[in-house]
Amino acid sequence: MKLKQKSLLFIVLALVLSMFLAACSGSTGGNENNNTNNTDNATNNTGNDPEDEEEEVDSNEPVYGGDLILGSTGSPTLFNGYYSSDTASSAIEGFIFDSLIGSDTSFETTLSMAASWDQSDDYMVNTFVLKDGLKFHDGEPLTAEDVVFSLSIPLHEDYDGPRKGYFEKIESIEATDEKTIVITLSDIDPSIHVAFGFPILPKHILGDVPVADLGEHEFNTKNPIGSGPFVFDEWADGQYVRVKAFEDYHEGRPYLDTITYKIVPDADALLTQLATGDVHYYTVPASDYHTVLEWEEAGDLKIESGLALSYTFLGYNLRNDLFKEKEVRQALTHAIDREAIVASIMAGDGEVAHVPESPLSWAYDENVPKFDYDVDKAKQMLEEAGWTPGADGILEKDGVKFSFSLKTNQGNKIREDIAVVVQEQFAQIGIEVKPEIMEWSAFLADVNPPAWNFDAIILGWALSTDPDPSGIFHSKEIEEGLNFVAYSNPEADELMDLNMSTMDRDERADYIKQANALIAEDQPYTFLYYPNAHRAMPVNLEGFEFHARLEYYNIHKWWLKQ
Amino acid sequence: MISYIIRRCLMAIPLLFGITILSFAIIKMAPGGPSSLMLDPNISKGDLAAFEEKYGLNDPVHVQYLKWVGNMVQGDFGNSLIRRGVPVSEMIMNRLPNTLLLMVVSTVLALIISIPFGIISARKQYTLTDYTVTVTSFLGLATPNFWIGLMMIMLFSVQLGWMPTGGVATLNAPFSIWDRIHHLIMPALVLATADMAGLTRYTRSSMLEVLRQDYMRTARAKGLKENKVVYKHGLRNGLIPIITIFGLMLPSFIGGSVVVERIFAWPGIGMLFIDSAFQRDYPVIMGLTVISAVLVVIGNLIADILYAVFDPRIEY
Repeated sequence: MKLKQKSLLFIVLALVLSMFLAACSGSTGGNENNNTNNTDNATNNTGNDPEDEEEEVDSNEPVYGGDLILGSTGSPTLFNGYYSSDTASSAIEGFIFDSLIGSDTSFETTLSMAASWDQSDDYMVNTFVLKDGLKFHDGEPLTAEDVVFSLSIPLHEDYDGPRKGYFEKIESIEATDEKTIVITLSDIDPSIHVAFGFPILPKHILGDVPVADLGEHEFNTKNPIGSGPFVFDEWADGQYVRVKAFEDYHEGRPYLDTITYKIVPDADALLTQLATGDVHYYTVPASDYHTVLEWEEAGDLKIESGLALSYTFLGYNLRNDLFKEKEVRQALTHAIDREAIVASIMAGDGEVAHVPESPLSWAYDENVPKFDYDVDKAKQMLEEAGWTPGADGILEKDGVKFSFSLKTNQGNKIREDIAVVVQEQFAQIGIEVKPEIMEWSAFLADVNPPAWNFDAIILGWALSTDPDPSGIFHSKEIEEGLNFVAYSNPEADELMDLNMSTMDRDERADYIKQANALIAEDQPYTFLYYPNAHRAMPVNLEGFEFHARLEYYNIHKWWLKQ
Repeated sequence: MISYIIRRCLMAIPLLFGITILSFAIIKMAPGGPSSLMLDPNISKGDLAAFEEKYGLNDPVHVQYLKWVGNMVQGDFGNSLIRRGVPVSEMIMNRLPNTLLLMVVSTVLALIISIPFGIISARKQYTLTDYTVTVTSFLGLATPNFWIGLMMIMLFSVQLGWMPTGGVATLNAPFSIWDRIHHLIMPALVLATADMAGLTRYTRSSMLEVLRQDYMRTARAKGLKENKVVYKHGLRNGLIPIITIFGLMLPSFIGGSVVVERIFAWPGIGMLFIDSAFQRDYPVIMGLTVISAVLVVIGNLIADILYAVFDPRIEY
C-alpha cells in the first residue's frame, strides 16, 4: 500500500515537473532584436575601409594582447552560416569565417577577401578576384574553388537549410582560375550582395560530404575551420565559446589574443557580471540602460550608443472587421501617445517612428502622412466611421463591440509595458483591449501563417541593410510570408516590384519612399519607435566603431590600451 | 531484499513509459515547433516543409512517439533538431555531471544545516530559539529561489566581491579545486534553502516523538547525560522518517535546479531543459525527461533500501 501511494505521488510530481517545464517562462528570443528580416548574414566585414580614426586623436599605436569576454543571453547552436539562424551563432561565425564582401557602418558594400568585384553593364555577370595569400586556419590555401563550393551549397537540390532565398537569382558559379570567380545571374537582384557576403567554407574538408548531410556534419559544432580573424578554440556547452587570434589573417593578426563569448541565460545575472567585470562587453537591453549609465559615470565602463537598425510596431490583423477601414486605423494611431511611451517606458531612449524604415537607411524619408497624438480627433474619426458609445461606454457598431486582444511576447519588459499603456489609452476613447503576454514560440505559431490567430500584436523588425520593404508589406507575402497582417495595396505592390527591378540606387530610393508613404497613409501598423542600441565595454577598449547591425563590427581591429 | 529490488526495478519500467507518453503528449500540445522560430522572409515555406519532412515532424504524433521509443530502448536518443546532428546523449552527458554535483552538494548542505537546527528546535520546544528557527525556516521556504540567488549575487559578488557571480569555474584560468568549490557554494546554498525548511520541521517533529519514548526515559534514568541520551539513543530513530522525505524531495531538486542554474549560469540539465523547451527541440526534451525520471526512480529506490537498513523493523 505504501509503495502504491508513493508511486502515485511520484507520478504526480513528475507530471507537475513536466508541466512546469512545458509552461515555464523565460525570454528566449524575446530580446530587443529577435526577428530577422532579410538578415544580412553577420559576416565579419573586413573591408579596406579608409583609416578613419575616432574623434579623439590617439597618439597611441594599437598594442597586441588581451582577452575580451563578450556577454550573451543566447546560446549558439552550430557554426555554419548556411544552416544556423540565431544571432549567437552568427556572431561567432563572424569571428571564424570570412567572405568575399562585407558592409561598413553606413551599410555600403566593402571588399573583404575579394581584391576586386566587377559587374557587367547589365549587372548580370559578377567577377570576383581573390586577394593573394588567403589561408584557412589549418594552413591550407583558400582558392576560387572554395568560393564556388561554398556559394553553390544553397543551389543544390538536397540543401535543407534556411538560406535558399538569397541565392534564387544565381544562375551559375564557376572558377575561371585559382583566383577568379564568375557568378552569373538569371535576373536583376538589387539585394544579391547579401548572397555574395556568405561565409567561405573549406572545400578540402567538406567537399566530399553530400549536401544532404552538411547540416549534420560535425564540422559545424566540433571543428569549424574558416579564414576569418579568429580560430575556433573551444566550445564548453552552456558556458562559453572561445576563439583565438589567427596569425595569418589576411588583414593582419587581430590585436586581441582571445575572445570568449560567454553565455549567461538570465539577463539580470548577466548585468551583475558586467558590474563585477566577469563580462567586459555587452549590448545592454533598453530597460537596463540607466543602471549601466550610472556605472559609466562611476568610470567602470564606457557605453557606445547609436540607433539600432530596427523599429517596434503595433500591427493590426486586417482580416479582422474592426480594422478593415483605414480611417479607423489612423484614429487608433491618433489615440496612442507615442511621445509619452518613449519618454516614460523607454526613459527617453528612442525616437518616435512614423515610417516603415529606419532613419539609418538611404531610402528613409520622413515626408509621410503622420498621425500625432490627438484624442479628440481619434474620437471624431471613429464617430465618422460609425462607432458610437454603448451602454457600458465601449464603442459599438451594428451590435459589435470595439474590443480586441493585443498579443506580445514574454520577456520583453518594454513591450509588456507598452501593451498596458495602449490598453489604458484606448480605454479613454471607448475601446477595450485585452493584453496577452505569450511565450515566444507559441506567439510566433499564432502570428505566422497559416494560423494568423491574433487581433493586434506588438513586435519589432530588425531591418536589413537593404531597404526593400517587400518582405513585410507586399501582398505576395500574405499567404506564406511575413505580411501576416494581410496588408494589400496594389499601388504599393507595384512600387515595390519596380524597386526590385533596377540596380540604380536613386531610382530604388524613389520607389521605396513612395511605397512607404502609401503604407504610412494606410497604417496597417501603428509605428511606435526606433530603439537605440547601447554597447557597454571596458574603458580602455580602442578601435571600436559603432555599427547598427553588427554588434562586433571589425572586432579584429579592437585593442586594449595597457 | 534482492527480490524486492528486482521487483521495484520491473515496476519502474511501465512507470517510465507512462511518463514518456505524458511528456511527449504535453510537449507536442505546446503550440509552435522548431521551424516556427525562423521568422525570416527569405525562408520559404518550402524550405521549412523540407526540414519538417526530413525530421518526421509531420507524421502523426503516435507514429513519432513509437519511432522515438523504438530508438530509445536501443539506447539511441536521436539528434538535436536545433543543433542539427549533435546526439542528444552527448548534449546530456556534457551537462549531467554539473547538475549531479550541484544536487549532491546542496543535499548534503541541506542535511548538515537542517538536522542540527531541527534537533535544537525539538530539545528547546516552545522557547525563543524554537520560534526563531521555525520562523527562519518558513521564511526560507516562502522566498523564491531566484530572488535569494540574485540578492546573494548582489551582496556577496557585486558589493563585497567575495564570491564569483556564476559559472562553474573562472574563465581562462587554470583548473583548481578551490576555484570549483568557490563557484559551487552560492548555487548549492540557494538550491538547499527550499528544502531546508521542510527538513528542519520534519527533524523537529520526529525528534519530539522520539524524546517522549520510554527507552529515552530509561536511558535518562540510567543517569546518562542528556546529550548522550539524545545523540546516542534518540538520533538514529529520529532520522528514519527523514530518509523517506529525502526520496520524495528528489524531483524538487531537479525542478529547483532549473531556476538556480539559470541565475548562476550553471551549465546543467536544467538550463538545457529550458532552452530546449523554448526551442521545441523535441528529442532533447524527451531525452532529459527520461534521464530525470530515471534519476527520481533510482533516488526513491535508494531511499527505500536505506529505510530498511536504518529501521530493522521493516522487512520487504
